[in-house]
Amino acid sequence: MHLVRDLLDKAVVDRNGREMGRVDRVVLDLRDGAPPRVVSIEVGASALGRRLGRRCGRWAAALLHAFGVDEGQPLRIHVSQILGVTDTVKVDLAFGETSAANVERTLRRIVAAVPGANR
Amino acid sequence: MSVIVDLVLGIVTSIGGFVEVGSISTSAQAGSEYGFQLLWAIAVAGAMLALLTEMSGRLSVMSRRSLAAAVRERFGIHFQVVPLASELVLDLLLLTAELGGAGIAVKLLTGIGFQWAIIPIAMVVWAVLWFSGFAVVEHGIGLLGLVTLSFVVSAWRLGPDAGDLARSLIPSLPTHDHVRYAFLAISIVGATVSPYLLNFYASGTLEEEMKQEELWVNTATTFGGNMFGTVVAMGGLVTSAMVLQPLHIQVDSYEQAALMFVPAFGRWAVALFALSLGIGCIGAALEISLNTGYVLSQVFGWSWSANRPRAENARFSCAFTCVLIAATAIAVLGFDPLRLTMISVALTVVVMPVMVLPFLVLMNDTKFVKARTNTPVGNAILAVLTLAGALFALVVIPLEILGG
Repeated sequence: MHLVRDLLDKAVVDRNGREMGRVDRVVLDLRDGAPPRVVSIEVGASALGRRLGRRCGRWAAALLHAFGVDEGQPLRIHVSQILGVTDTVKVDLAFGETSAANVERTLRRIVAAVPGANR
Repeated sequence: MSVIVDLVLGIVTSIGGFVEVGSISTSAQAGSEYGFQLLWAIAVAGAMLALLTEMSGRLSVMSRRSLAAAVRERFGIHFQVVPLASELVLDLLLLTAELGGAGIAVKLLTGIGFQWAIIPIAMVVWAVLWFSGFAVVEHGIGLLGLVTLSFVVSAWRLGPDAGDLARSLIPSLPTHDHVRYAFLAISIVGATVSPYLLNFYASGTLEEEMKQEELWVNTATTFGGNMFGTVVAMGGLVTSAMVLQPLHIQVDSYEQAALMFVPAFGRWAVALFALSLGIGCIGAALEISLNTGYVLSQVFGWSWSANRPRAENARFSCAFTCVLIAATAIAVLGFDPLRLTMISVALTVVVMPVMVLPFLVLMNDTKFVKARTNTPVGNAILAVLTLAGALFALVVIPLEILGG
């Protein structure tokens, strides 16, 4: 598998097929005398921002913090939780129970109060 | 029957491409200043848009991904920052211009200052997006958009010479003001081939769940729909050429453009023009707002669909709402919609290579489109037209600004 071609930037879905985001970063374990190993994937605005540059990462984190949806750290998904990689990366989690859902959850409280939003 | 329904999607998309604030103004200006001479530019723009929308439909049907999602996966976020930022800026500018255009339509109908109409119009656009699914947006604009056929009826009533029309389909050099001529040719292309149309159409085929064995429907809708749009835009140019040019009226406001309907429709002229402009602009505003939601959701991997409850895709719903609020705020400040339009259509041509060239790479990648890759001829036509257009625009736009 090519990490950049086949894993990075792919859509991540939870065990129910719900969109969780994209593979914003891949965390590698660099080992002496052995090839690097994929430890986990990261999903979330702060991970994506950090990939674009340290300053972008700080801005993304500050923005999330300002809106009270501080993820602290981006959602880190261990390789053992990856169920399969096809067109999407399916992981053994439920979106609503992860920090990747923080922004969606906060906005949903606002949106749901608008008439017609739940139809 | 379902084919007819699908054809509507193509027609709707083409209305966004041809019959909105940008196309009406560029056609009217081209006709009033150069007669039929720029008809070829509409034909070229129509062919380009048909090829590009067919490709975006094929990409999404074959790969189950929209254009924005496929670019992120194939090229990564570092590359996508550029086309994404360009598309968001253009979406915002164009949406502002469309709201302004719809405001002008209300002004023509009622005499109320156009800025007063903008907030109510934006609220109508938002309400349609909020309360209805994709099918309502699609079929609604498609049916109402038929009023824009009045441009064709008008041109037909004026009885242009068929030989003159046919000759204008071959590019020729103007007798006066070459820079202006080139600028208008570029503006016609930029007004027609709006980037938002490609991802909007791709997302539409996903919303409609078009299947791989229905790919021929995609081809028929995109070419059929674009032909409809091309003919309407040509009707606008021909009408303007036959009515405004002999009177030496140069279009520098929409009120003047409305005059071109007078010989064909008499006292209904202004109302019909205003309706065509208004419906075209509101249709385009719906498409642009939705597209902003689509693009952001697809790039960042949020759930999206105009067919699911708004609260279920809160980020998508907030995205289209926010862009609409931002555009309304800018429009209310009172920028001249015509100038805003001319800026955004010229910019479109400059940034087009950043959007079209990666798109061509995707269309030749079997991982995305499987066996349905582009033909070398299609690749070559689009690559050459896009690059030539952008280089040409980089020369002509500064000259036009310096000269004008």
